[in-house]
Amino acid sequence: MAAGLASKWSRVGRSLLGGLGNNLSNLLTTSHEMACNNSLSQQQRTFIQMRTVLKVVDNSGAKKVMCIQALKGKKGARLGDTIVASVKEAHPNGKVKKGKVVYGVVVRAAMQRGRCDGSEVKFDDNAVVLVDKQGQPIGTRVFGPVPHELRKKKHVKILTLAGHIA
Amino acid sequence: MRIEKCWFCSSAVYPGHGIQFVRNDAKIFRFCRSKCHKNFKMKRNPRKVKWTKAYRRLHGKDMTQDSTFEFERRRNRPERYDRNVTENTLKAIKTIDKVRSRRESKHIERRKKGKKGQQMREAVKELEQSISLVKAPAILREDPSLTLPKIMVKVSQAQESQRMEE
Repeated sequence: MAAGLASKWSRVGRSLLGGLGNNLSNLLTTSHEMACNNSLSQQQRTFIQMRTVLKVVDNSGAKKVMCIQALKGKKGARLGDTIVASVKEAHPNGKVKKGKVVYGVVVRAAMQRGRCDGSEVKFDDNAVVLVDKQGQPIGTRVFGPVPHELRKKKHVKILTLAGHIA
Repeated sequence: MRIEKCWFCSSAVYPGHGIQFVRNDAKIFRFCRSKCHKNFKMKRNPRKVKWTKAYRRLHGKDMTQDSTFEFERRRNRPERYDRNVTENTLKAIKTIDKVRSRRESKHIERRKKGKKGQQMREAVKELEQSISLVKAPAILREDPSLTLPKIMVKVSQAQESQRMEE
């Protein structure tokens, strides 16, 4: 009898303690998550303007370019717009050398852009495909997803080279 | 036109609504409203957020397996237009919807009923096991009216006497 009672007691005690422990841990995790969210809150994404550094996603030879002029728009360039850029990083023996001034089409932008049906689209990073003055791409391949809005901007060549169209 | 599903809450995303995020591996995340988009940016798991469909499915709140879900499927092959087929489909949508809503309400009813019985049983068991925390076992033995009357009916005289002997 005594043994049975003792076991019952211990079980109840454990369950009580366990409940407390769970509550405590839950509280702790929630507070921790909140802190993480505050620190990870993303920056406000904005236009591609002068001194924006963009990734080059073709095989023209350039790796990174810096925007020096947006050809359209007062505030800057958005998804699908053409920019003038200077090559900041380049592969050693590519078509495009470091320091050259090139034209490029913004194929991915982190700032959201309205679509024709009213919804919005945004991408992971800011990326550009280098083109010549006539709008023909310099490279022969395009990496990563590109938006279908490029068709409206008459960059069909980039769309055909791209693997994924979003 | 296609009615997509929100990545976070699995509700319908009608054309022109919400925002879509394209990751660099071309995976598209569609969100029905800014609430879902913000939750995604906060890196929340939809399976752990209580108001999402994913949570409700995972925790058995909603009906998961049903033949009515088979009709709503992603088909990438375009169907050749046929007036009769379209008409029949439109008729079928109503009946299928009715059947599904009936089954869902039944599922919820059944779920609630099961929970009530279980809770009652658990409460009875807890009372039975840990009444000693409130009243000392010795007093209980003297005055059996403090325990549940239901249990008193269940327990036969012979067992009672045996326990007393122990």
